[in-house]
Amino acid sequence: MSNAENILQNKQLSEDSRHQRLSRLLARPDIWQAANGVSPENSRRGITTGYAALDALLAGRGWPRGATTELLVNQSGVGEMSLLLPALAEMTRREQMVVLVNPPFIPYAPALASAGVQLEKLLILHPRGHKDELWAVEQSLQSGCCGALLSWQGRQAPVDKDLRRLQLAAREGDCSHFHFRPASTATSPSPASLRLGLASDGEQLAVKLLKQLGGRSGQQLHLARNPDLTRRDRPLH
Amino acid sequence: MLWLCLQFPKLPLEVLTRAQRDGDRKTAQAVVEEQLIVDANRPAAERGVETGLTIATACALCADLQLLQRDTRREEQQLQQLAQWGYSFTPVVSPQAAGSIDAGDNRFACLYLELSGCLKASGGLQPLLQQLKRELRQMRISTFMGLGHSPSAARMLSQLPEHRQWLRETGTPPTAQQWRQWISFCPSKLLDCDNKTIAKLYACGIKRVSQLLAIPLSEVGSRFGRGFVDYLARLNGGRHDPVPSYTPPPEFHNELFFPSPLDNSEQLLFPAGRLVRELCQQLQRRQLYSQQLRWKLDFGKRGCKVFSVETSRPLLDPQRLIALTRLQLERLTLEQPIQALTLTCDRLHPLDQQALDDDLFGENTALQRSHQLLDRLQARLGHEALSGVTLRESHLPEQAWASADTLVLQSGRNRKGHQLNPVNAPRPTWLLQRPDKLQSREHRLFYRGEIKLLQGPERIDGYWWQHGRHGRDYYIARGEEGGLYWVFQDLTSEDWYLQGIYS
Repeated sequence: MSNAENILQNKQLSEDSRHQRLSRLLARPDIWQAANGVSPENSRRGITTGYAALDALLAGRGWPRGATTELLVNQSGVGEMSLLLPALAEMTRREQMVVLVNPPFIPYAPALASAGVQLEKLLILHPRGHKDELWAVEQSLQSGCCGALLSWQGRQAPVDKDLRRLQLAAREGDCSHFHFRPASTATSPSPASLRLGLASDGEQLAVKLLKQLGGRSGQQLHLARNPDLTRRDRPLH
Repeated sequence: MLWLCLQFPKLPLEVLTRAQRDGDRKTAQAVVEEQLIVDANRPAAERGVETGLTIATACALCADLQLLQRDTRREEQQLQQLAQWGYSFTPVVSPQAAGSIDAGDNRFACLYLELSGCLKASGGLQPLLQQLKRELRQMRISTFMGLGHSPSAARMLSQLPEHRQWLRETGTPPTAQQWRQWISFCPSKLLDCDNKTIAKLYACGIKRVSQLLAIPLSEVGSRFGRGFVDYLARLNGGRHDPVPSYTPPPEFHNELFFPSPLDNSEQLLFPAGRLVRELCQQLQRRQLYSQQLRWKLDFGKRGCKVFSVETSRPLLDPQRLIALTRLQLERLTLEQPIQALTLTCDRLHPLDQQALDDDLFGENTALQRSHQLLDRLQARLGHEALSGVTLRESHLPEQAWASADTLVLQSGRNRKGHQLNPVNAPRPTWLLQRPDKLQSREHRLFYRGEIKLLQGPERIDGYWWQHGRHGRDYYIARGEEGGLYWVFQDLTSEDWYLQGIYS
């Protein structure tokens, strides 16, 4: 083989490896590619939410994988859990664990089962104290065996450093972390890759995209609630 | 038959100081019983403290000598432990306890192992002896050994320095002819009989066993008694030499004692690791596993503290067990200094192949990781912090679910049988711990503002045959801010309650 050929081949090889490295870098969820827009092959596929209208707005066509999603909601009852239930049910069917850390009320088994959640894969944690809670969340996120982890902000708001750590843990364990926080935290910065503000708009659930890594934000979306619930009977009183 | 005799000359000292780190071994320590020194460690021995001195003399020789009371109960436990360890090599094991000092009997504790059946499995005599020595060194137990065709011969030869030297180098077990030569070569003082008999032997001019064997047995019998003749016959192989056989108990129990009490849970990690490693070795050899490790922290006279480490699956990896123990220890606050640490596993189960998680090819790793996660969470947060939910068959909404043990999580897929189906009606995702009473004024209901009923009623009437009747009309209601609630009116009291939230 001549010298020139050799050099040419080497050059090609190094270009190949550089290209590989670049594509690996671009595949990272925390790299925002503004120029390319949102195309399915460039962004990581998310976990489908079960709501086509919401999927269309999200960068990965679904909930981001291995990242924190913040759901800002002031009052439970607006339909925030039913937003997640289709994705959670899908995960439990795929034998992935779903962990609920300090849920505000009792997760009601009949409702979850009829939504398709495999109850055996559901783990509910009630750690005592803020420190234990953070530890448990981090451990579960890192473990790599959980599909999703839902946590609720307690009395003590987690500091920015902790949120960053949880985001990293979620990426490490490839687990979707859904963090419920009060709407008042919308103005404070957060490392989460997706932030949604949830509120009720009369009969519908109003979803507002506050922040989205690798995608546009600021859109509003109205999702109808289960018609079985909102159907109005003849008023009694 | 090929008997190995392991003698433990320093057992009284070692059971008390085994848990110490290397740094603590510089202080001079001695074990005392009845005002006499039984044994001393190296720094003490270098300054002239030796077995048989009185405490006063020893303290005069070495002013900062730390005196430890001899604990024969602990020695016995340790010997049982060693027998269990020996059982992992050969099924024929016999421990023999040390003689007590006040009876004038200074025999060391020893362990007899019958090796002829296990030479092949261990790769020959020398590799086996090396392994035994290495593991005893790891356990911090010093020993010397002798090999013989009967337990008595093995015991006598273990005391002969030339035999020990030979044992270090030999690769094959000796022939019957060689045994006789070794026995004949022994000085008579090594015979296992009382001091009076030995004095008598020397008075007769019998300095070696060979001289004794040259005398006709009938004459030996008339001079030294029938028991002595019996002993000689057993020594020579002319008669059976029975030793009590040992059968291991179906549990693991081991204890480490700290001569200077520990007051920090960090310091416990090192001795705990030693116990866990011994447990894992033991379990692996006997193909057993334990799901619960019970630790006991002994505060001496001030009581004790017990905690347990549970694993959801059979686990034989000492590193992981130590990590789980560490999580538990971090939660503890020690009010008292600890004098001893005990590890007990009283329920050992036989290991079957499917049960073990450590798959060679790394399959099923997700399941394995979820077991590890559960163990970790359980160790730090406590058993009660983990739960699952299951369905239950009941008309009453608050009884249609049950809090499940986390173990249900595991067996979920394999469980067969009756499958419960949830009710086919919209049910709330959140249930309140107990129904919250609603304010009602002039036919209007209030919960964080006024709420309006949308649907209903759905009547659930349960337990009407019992004393406390539960008759309720359920409605779906909407609050001012748009939240959907599940409320009911009690039919007997006509009060309104909030029971669930359609979240």
